[in-house]
Amino acid sequence: MKLISLLDQLAATPATAAPAPRRALLAQLGRAAVAALPLGATALSVAAAPTDTSYDAVTQLLLLERTQVALYTQGLAAPGLIPTAQTADFQRMLAHQTQHAALLLKALQDAGAVVPVLPRFDFSGRHSVATNPELFPAVLTSYDAFLALAQQLEDLGVRIYKNYIFIITDPQLLRAFLRIHSVEAEHSAHIRGLRKSRGAVVQHWPSEEDAAIVRPTAAQGLTTAATGGEETGVQYLTPGVPVPFASFLLISTNTAIHDPALAEAFDEPVSSAVAQTALNLFV
Amino acid sequence: MSDTLRPTDSQSPQPGQPLLARIKRRSFFMYAGATAGATALVLAGCSKDTSTPSSATGNVSFGTGDASVLNYAYALEQLEAAFYAKVAALTVSPLLAAEVPYFAKVATHEAIHRDFLRTAINRDFGGTIIPDLTPKFDSIDFTKRVKAPADTKLGILDAAKAFEDLGVAAYNGAAKLLKSPVYLGIAGQIVSVEARHAAYVRDLILPGSFATNEAGDVLGFDRQLAPAAVLTIAQNYVEQTLNGSTIGQ
Repeated sequence: MKLISLLDQLAATPATAAPAPRRALLAQLGRAAVAALPLGATALSVAAAPTDTSYDAVTQLLLLERTQVALYTQGLAAPGLIPTAQTADFQRMLAHQTQHAALLLKALQDAGAVVPVLPRFDFSGRHSVATNPELFPAVLTSYDAFLALAQQLEDLGVRIYKNYIFIITDPQLLRAFLRIHSVEAEHSAHIRGLRKSRGAVVQHWPSEEDAAIVRPTAAQGLTTAATGGEETGVQYLTPGVPVPFASFLLISTNTAIHDPALAEAFDEPVSSAVAQTALNLFV
Repeated sequence: MSDTLRPTDSQSPQPGQPLLARIKRRSFFMYAGATAGATALVLAGCSKDTSTPSSATGNVSFGTGDASVLNYAYALEQLEAAFYAKVAALTVSPLLAAEVPYFAKVATHEAIHRDFLRTAINRDFGGTIIPDLTPKFDSIDFTKRVKAPADTKLGILDAAKAFEDLGVAAYNGAAKLLKSPVYLGIAGQIVSVEARHAAYVRDLILPGSFATNEAGDVLGFDRQLAPAAVLTIAQNYVEQTLNGSTIGQ
């Protein structure tokens, strides 16, 4: 079965059960759910082998997409938050993320794997407990605060998909991940452009020239996960494991001639643990 | 001065040499030059020494294996870098004032991608690198920001969108051909930057058109194209004949 037709089918009827086609992948995922097999291990060196499985990858990505769906849903529902001129932008990004979530959910369901319960999202960072400190103030009342959070979650999305490109060995899911990965980057660039047009010091790509998004210490995990280490001139295969020819770009950090473009030209992955810390801020 | 897409770092590395030496001060000034509006393209065209001479005619064959996929990416990055270098070199630009420095920045990114791939190919697959491509930009009108309906040539933004969309679809379609996780990782690090460029240019042409909203797109999923389809399009912008029939085999 061609991926494209699978996706078309998804677009038409995201909630329907799959016909039989993707049994191999589904078996993989199901097995992973039970036995936590490191499916990517054969393709990776021992040093680089992560402990994550395909199941871990799909569930974390599902949480990411559900988080983005919830943010855009709540944002669009908040009166006066998103300007009329940009309502369509967020409706479209919401539609994209809904598609992504549907694909991931379907992969889990078809595999007979455990599907995580849809969490209750709280974008204040209070974890739905009113007495907890507010880590992300005014997300649903201030458009600038909303955009800043949206940008960080999209950047985080780019990095999580980048991390899992190595773990997913199923060719159809790999292709789907790649095609989603670049869409997340397009969302991030668009939101960065919206912020720039409102006076924020920010580029369309992560750059050391961007003004930092100031967060309380307890919310710093999001910034770390979204853009931490983007300024690096060393390129990483997986988080913490430099590519063997990393020294190619080292000159950017050890010379007076410093060009931010070197680091901008490559986006970085994020480890699943760092990503999870960030995602946990909103559930 | 030729339009040949010469790499900025003209002394290609030999296998076994440390890569740290490969970006030298001279290259850095070229990147800085591209940012400032001078161009890597122009500077490179003035230089005489080259280890991979190109000719305007002839076939470019990409070989097989990971080397072929990297050479394929290298070809596309050569094309993008040459295009943006030419835009950055315009003394009179039809772009809006705010767009000029951004295009210069993109020119720098693409030059870095090109040089990075060339260095990786020369280090890990010595002797397989494709020649410098000779661009053919006669279908692009560098005096137009955007094509008018009656125009037969692309404007700068139209061409930039075409190159960026092609690059994203090419990386998305070629990643599965890579055997080594190292190169898969690099492809992943580059493609999202290409996607950011694509979204930026798309938004310039039509605000809010940043992703997957054209006929044939699947909602929420960027396109992927096989090398043959990509090279059919790329061929329109290259003098040499591109033969990608064995890419990834």
